[in-house]
Amino acid sequence: MDKKPEEPPEGVSRRHFLKGAGAAAAAVSVAQLPSEVQGSNGTEDEPTILGPGPVPIQLRINGVDGQTEAAPSTTLLDLLRDHQGLTGAKRVCDRGSCGACTVLLDGRTVDSCSMLAIDAVGSEITTVEGIGTPENLSDLQQAFIEKDALQCGFCTPGMVVSCTALLKENPSPDREQIRRGISGNICRCGTYQNIIEAVEHVSRKGGK
Amino acid sequence: MAEEITIKVGFGDHFRDLTVRLQDGDIAPWQPDQQLDVVGKRLPRLDAVAKVTGTAKFAQDQNPAGMIHGRILRSPHPNADIRSVDLSAAKAMPGVRAVLTVPEVFEDSSARFAGAEIAAIAADTEQQADAAMRAIQVEYDIKDFCVTIDTSMEDGAPQVGRGDQKNVQRVSPRSRGRRRGGNANPGADQQVLDRMAAREKEVSALLAASDVVVEGTFRTQVQTHAPFETHGAVCSWEDGQLVCWASTQATFGFRGELTSNWGQVKASECRVLSEYVGGGFGSKFSAGREGVIGALLAKEAGVPVKMMLDRSGEQTSAGNRPDALQKMRMGVNKDGVIQALQIRSWGTPGSGTGGAGAHNDGIYKLGEVDKVEYGVRTNCGGARAHRAPGWPQGSFALEQMMDMAAHSLDGIDPIEFRKKNDDHPIRVAEYDIAKERIGWNKARVRGGASNICTGVGIASNLWFSAGGGGASALVRISKDGSVEIRNGAQDIGTGTRTVMGMVAAEELGIPLDMVSTRIGDTNDPQGPMSGGSTTIGTLTPAARLAAHYAKKELLAVVADRKGWDPTDLDIRKARVIRNDGSDTGLSFHDACQLMDDDAIEVLKARPRRNYAGFSDTNAGVQAAEVEVDMETGVVRVKKVVAVADAGKLINPMTAESQVRGGVIQGVSYALTERRIMDRHKGRMLNDDLENYKILGSLDCPEIDVVLVDVYNGKSNTQVMGLGEPPIVATAAAVANAVADAIGTRVFEIPITPKKVLEAIASKKAPDPGGKKKGARL
Ligand code: FES
Ligand code: FES
Repeated sequence: MDKKPEEPPEGVSRRHFLKGAGAAAAAVSVAQLPSEVQGSNGTEDEPTILGPGPVPIQLRINGVDGQTEAAPSTTLLDLLRDHQGLTGAKRVCDRGSCGACTVLLDGRTVDSCSMLAIDAVGSEITTVEGIGTPENLSDLQQAFIEKDALQCGFCTPGMVVSCTALLKENPSPDREQIRRGISGNICRCGTYQNIIEAVEHVSRKGGK
Repeated sequence: MAEEITIKVGFGDHFRDLTVRLQDGDIAPWQPDQQLDVVGKRLPRLDAVAKVTGTAKFAQDQNPAGMIHGRILRSPHPNADIRSVDLSAAKAMPGVRAVLTVPEVFEDSSARFAGAEIAAIAADTEQQADAAMRAIQVEYDIKDFCVTIDTSMEDGAPQVGRGDQKNVQRVSPRSRGRRRGGNANPGADQQVLDRMAAREKEVSALLAASDVVVEGTFRTQVQTHAPFETHGAVCSWEDGQLVCWASTQATFGFRGELTSNWGQVKASECRVLSEYVGGGFGSKFSAGREGVIGALLAKEAGVPVKMMLDRSGEQTSAGNRPDALQKMRMGVNKDGVIQALQIRSWGTPGSGTGGAGAHNDGIYKLGEVDKVEYGVRTNCGGARAHRAPGWPQGSFALEQMMDMAAHSLDGIDPIEFRKKNDDHPIRVAEYDIAKERIGWNKARVRGGASNICTGVGIASNLWFSAGGGGASALVRISKDGSVEIRNGAQDIGTGTRTVMGMVAAEELGIPLDMVSTRIGDTNDPQGPMSGGSTTIGTLTPAARLAAHYAKKELLAVVADRKGWDPTDLDIRKARVIRNDGSDTGLSFHDACQLMDDDAIEVLKARPRRNYAGFSDTNAGVQAAEVEVDMETGVVRVKKVVAVADAGKLINPMTAESQVRGGVIQGVSYALTERRIMDRHKGRMLNDDLENYKILGSLDCPEIDVVLVDVYNGKSNTQVMGLGEPPIVATAAAVANAVADAIGTRVFEIPITPKKVLEAIASKKAPDPGGKKKGARL
């Protein structure tokens, strides 16, 4: 911890931030943090010990910047659900096995149960609520409804997020690619085939 | 004033007349020649928008002001008595607001499986609750244990239960004089034993006289329900009333447990809210200890408590499908008629008391059956009803016996053999659909360069789900033209809400989007639990009746205002029409405007009993096509054809989803799922979703669902449920397909590559007795 960290550039990238955090080694004493999450006594010379109490965390969620107070050990999932009232993402396995907590981080899917909220600082976070609303559904959400790609609906937000990312990356996936694209998401009710049909439907229509 | 009517019952080209005496003001079922506008259409679920946008609020998503978090401490020991629980240090931990111990609340000081509840804590944050749990001091009296059927059945095995409870207990034929889960009274049981002995003798004689006898021993594993939303509730006491947002498949049952004088909570008033439930599959009928604990912690803390299980608690303590060990002998004559079947089976209710039976003699005409079944206690989480309890395990054994018997009779095709021994009026027509769509007669791939062998297999379903009494619905038509239907039951993902709305819309003569539905609230009229696939069979006749009488009241208002004959009026496509089909010039909305009152409200219960109908049971046939890699033993299910019937189909789209879901869980059961117990520590090793393998999208077969619409006449909607039947046959069909592919049989699920390779390797070994030379298994 005696290694002096590099000067953080404006709007620290997640990668850079992680590098800094790695140098600090201990889980709760983070050496290099973007200014948004620095403790009040934080300076550039001294590593800042965060927590265990709440710290301000500034995140950009669904296109809106906001600040929350939460313990630095808070997962992104818990921050979204318990602090932001965004309960679309679900806690099901709580360890990265099921995909029910999937959100987008700069357009890529992550299991929000398995990352810290402070690791998402500086990134664009998109939850299912940011993909479409009841009044303004995305094409994919519309297709999920038409193809009955949901039963109990508990895995559905995660599925919607994963399929949205898949279509963005590959607007015309074949069946095998769709299967692969949602292979990180489990559905206990068994909606896979309907989901595949919904994604195919959107891709045929050129939507997203 | 019972009215007698003649209706048509049946399906396809199998219709007949049936005279029915209508009861309790009931109305006639829809008839085959009747044009329906809503029922039978593929309409999207009413709650789909909320579910795809993440705005649906499940129990887990509730966050009432001031809410804190509950946690349950569980036993690390599989068999122990709790000597003492010391909460003093835990109570002093930061954020802790309420504590309780299981020995005090439930008067149960035994921990009979690793995961049994010991104590509970509510604290401001989950982390504080976790920290406080670590400060709880428990003294255990640790005992030896058994976590498998085999060890529990051994002579001198450690006792799983307490008192004089034996590890192995006969469950069928039922013992006499058994009380409170104890053992049979030996004197009273003697009659049963005598009858069993006589039966055994008779069936043994029949087997000896049969042309061919086949036999097999089959094993199935423990499967956990693993609903995506865990069990539990958010509990809040508001002015003495307990409010629970619960993840339950029985809102009224949940309330009953918390208000009962026999329970631990004894709330004088309780409201249960379950608008969305993240799955149940049979495990969520009871409030469970977690429900009781949540209510008690909230009472003590004076603030709402979220008491949802974590995944480990869910996997270990919230129910499972028991395993089964089934030994069978079947005698068949050369003409292909089954003469007799002898069954000995064992299943474990875990540390629970019931539900370990396998339904292995329920399908087909099996001749004389001698069946004896035993429950074997183990130090594992208790079994609960699991989607078609007992049926998939029974079917796995029986259907393989059917194939083995067919193959032992030269030249009899397994489907023809089944038809010979089946008299179900619907299933007889379903075999050929499955046969054609799976490509039964097409040539199988047999190895070659790719090492792939393909095979097909077939198996049957059976279910009993026309529902029954116990539901009322409230329909309200308002002056502004809005329509609402309410029932307090829950929709666990099956589409109950949508189907209820569709039935009401059809009867009212308006499109579905004009009806709003309210469910999952015990302040609304009584509704059924989501069990036995009887939910919509029970609920929809009440919904239709309430809608019918509300419409009648509305038309009486119209007739009165306009001076028309009310019996000449009806509503269709949101227009008021005459019996000859002509339009009166009034829309539904216009009609509502004629009301003096603000609204018409009709509460109606359905008749308690169903009519004779076309068939008391649903049938169904499934065929599976598999590919087996002979080198690696990996089985891939390519396709499953699922022919299903469920009385009159209200929404073929949600019905199809139910069938697909059942098939997927069935394939998962056949190939990947299994609870793994550590034999040395007695704990569940895969109490998560990483190592507890649920079938994923990559392994999901193509599922071809064929729905048969049956006018069964059992109620005014003729609906049968469909949650359970489609899982009954799947694993059996897969197992038969694997045997067809590899030329030998795997007698145990899950069918892992190891078992496949072992079966292939043992193929060269000499055939066990009883089978003819050259006969396939
Ligand atoms: S809850 Fe995050 S992956 Fe399962
Ligand atoms: S819809 Fe229930 S888990 Fe996927």
